[in-house]
Amino acid sequence: MSIKNTLTIWFGKFMVKALHLLGRDAGNAPGLILWEMNKDCLKAFKVDCPIIAVTGTNGKTSVTNYLNHIFESTGKKIITNKQGNNLDTGITSLLLQNCDMKGRVKADYLVLEIDESHVPVIFSKMKLETLVLLNFFRDQLDRNGEVETLILKVKKFLETFEGNVVLNADDPNVSRLGLANPKNKNIFYFSVEKYAGATEKPYEVGEGKFCPRCGEELKYDYYQYSHVGKFRCPKCGFGDVKPYVTAKNVKLDVPSIEFEGEEYKISHNSIYYVYNLSAVYAAASLYNFDKKVLHETFEKFEVNNGRLEKFNVDGSSLLVNLAKNPVGANMTLRVMNEHKGEKELLFVLNDNLADGHDVSWIWDINFSVFNDVTRVVTSGTRAYDIAIRIKCSGYDPDKIVVKPELDDAMVEFFKNKGDKYAIANYTAIQPTRAAIKRYKAKVKEGRENG
Amino acid sequence: MDKLRILHMYPAMLDLYGDSGNVEILSYRCRMRGIETEVVKHDLGDKDTDFSGVDIVYLGGGADFEQQLLADDLLGLKDNIRKAYENGVYFLMICGGYQLMGQYYKDSNGKKIPGLGLFDYYTVASTNKRERCIGNIVVETTLGAKKYKVIGFENHGGQTTNVKTPFGKVLAGNGNEFASSVEGYTEKNVTATYLHGPLLSKNPRLADHIISYCMTRKTGQPYKPEQINDKLEAECRKVLLERLLKK
Repeated sequence: MSIKNTLTIWFGKFMVKALHLLGRDAGNAPGLILWEMNKDCLKAFKVDCPIIAVTGTNGKTSVTNYLNHIFESTGKKIITNKQGNNLDTGITSLLLQNCDMKGRVKADYLVLEIDESHVPVIFSKMKLETLVLLNFFRDQLDRNGEVETLILKVKKFLETFEGNVVLNADDPNVSRLGLANPKNKNIFYFSVEKYAGATEKPYEVGEGKFCPRCGEELKYDYYQYSHVGKFRCPKCGFGDVKPYVTAKNVKLDVPSIEFEGEEYKISHNSIYYVYNLSAVYAAASLYNFDKKVLHETFEKFEVNNGRLEKFNVDGSSLLVNLAKNPVGANMTLRVMNEHKGEKELLFVLNDNLADGHDVSWIWDINFSVFNDVTRVVTSGTRAYDIAIRIKCSGYDPDKIVVKPELDDAMVEFFKNKGDKYAIANYTAIQPTRAAIKRYKAKVKEGRENG
Repeated sequence: MDKLRILHMYPAMLDLYGDSGNVEILSYRCRMRGIETEVVKHDLGDKDTDFSGVDIVYLGGGADFEQQLLADDLLGLKDNIRKAYENGVYFLMICGGYQLMGQYYKDSNGKKIPGLGLFDYYTVASTNKRERCIGNIVVETTLGAKKYKVIGFENHGGQTTNVKTPFGKVLAGNGNEFASSVEGYTEKNVTATYLHGPLLSKNPRLADHIISYCMTRKTGQPYKPEQINDKLEAECRKVLLERLLKK
């Protein structure tokens, strides 16, 4: 190991130790400082095990958690960034916490979620074995720029990549990346058969309208959600791929799906979640797992952490889901609208740095269908913006209650018992979960004292 | 029932930052007053778009790539658009739409896209793609005889100069150029601005100003929109103005 690399690791380890002594979680800070000092700091680590990375706009955390669970179920030692921290600096911090003084990282596998824009920089310095690409949607334009810029970044990386690439065949933005390196034979597509909620016309705003190869407008047989569906270029045939894995017989009412002739019970009834599981199944298949582990995982494992997380609060059942962009929000609204009977919605919207300061993305959410939603509560630093958005879709403004403070919002939201749904954006999701738990505790305390 | 026709130009291409929301808001606020709206579209390559029969022409913002793609198509419509403008049709244009109506737009790659030349201003983007005016913005404009603070979000690399009649004075944010004192462009039947948000979501009086103009022009009678339930908008403005104008 070069002296520079040795010093990089020593200094990094020293920072992690010092922070621990101060009683702090290391978080992103050591990685951030190391990158400032040495742009090649990732090269100082010795990782001999295979690396599996998951990227895409929505679903990274969920798919990474599922893969991690599957690998760990079979007794493998995994290093993973379960909580996000998916930028170059976050990965550096993670490795620092898991390496010895010589920079050696000991594990059977690294399973990492990686921000789309950081895939090239991280894996130009570490050897990647498998890249799982979920989808590309419009997301935080003021931070990330346009979707196309991101896709081109990942494409450039894939042009020279020869490892496994697991791709969503039904998202033209992702599927096109299978053409990035014609020499790479390790391209594995996953797809989902048409489900009962698929539509002939796009129901939500989408991105991939034109053929990335020849510019012709793409023709769709159907849309599963947003721009994900069965598409084909009438001119050059783009889109005609043979999937490695296809989820069939999607029954969201059970809910269950079928892979390779076997039925799998699953724990959520959203098409978006079925796509995540198909990505998990495809990636897991490359590593030959016992189907029993997959059955067990699909039926029982929960990511929680604000990803389709269920709560029972004071006689109400609540489903909480993170939404950083229109597609994410639309997915939760779909689940909500498909649920029969009356329900209430909480929407928590912040405009902090990590959210993107621009909240105009909420106008790309489709609020035109609101089945039996009897009341809406909004909260967060931009509580009024989302309230106006919902009002202008035609919803009665007198049924919208704005409570910018989360604790006030909870009191309002749980005033009536019943079925409830909550959507929160990036920096809002953890405070929202915390506020739900505080409210639960308060109710319990009140009952015990009362 | 009275009816306003809104021409939404290139809705599939100029649709960044929820800009289509402006059309939704105009339709909503008309509906609340019993005015019917019809939204017609002009897409790339459409040959028979009727510009003379519409009341509002709307263009949203788009990416550099899309602006290049539609520049030729737009130039082909020059005479029709000029005629509509001279006849008093209301033009509402955001960001890319604003830029394309000027003399030209030189994008961040140094590529010059000819504008429609309806107005004298022109726009040059910094060749450093990271140099952009991004953030919340407050502009003070005049609607009728009254001053009105307009709240939005700007995100543009283009620097627009030679603006003779700006939309308003910048109270917070950048405006037409970095640290500019003015923002946008205006005439009696033109609002051109960099403000997303979408623009009309937090500025209901601006939306009503446009509706009033169009109804007055259409019916020949001065139109005064009746007050609707704008409690949410009023609260939103109060909170944001307090936050954004705090020195």
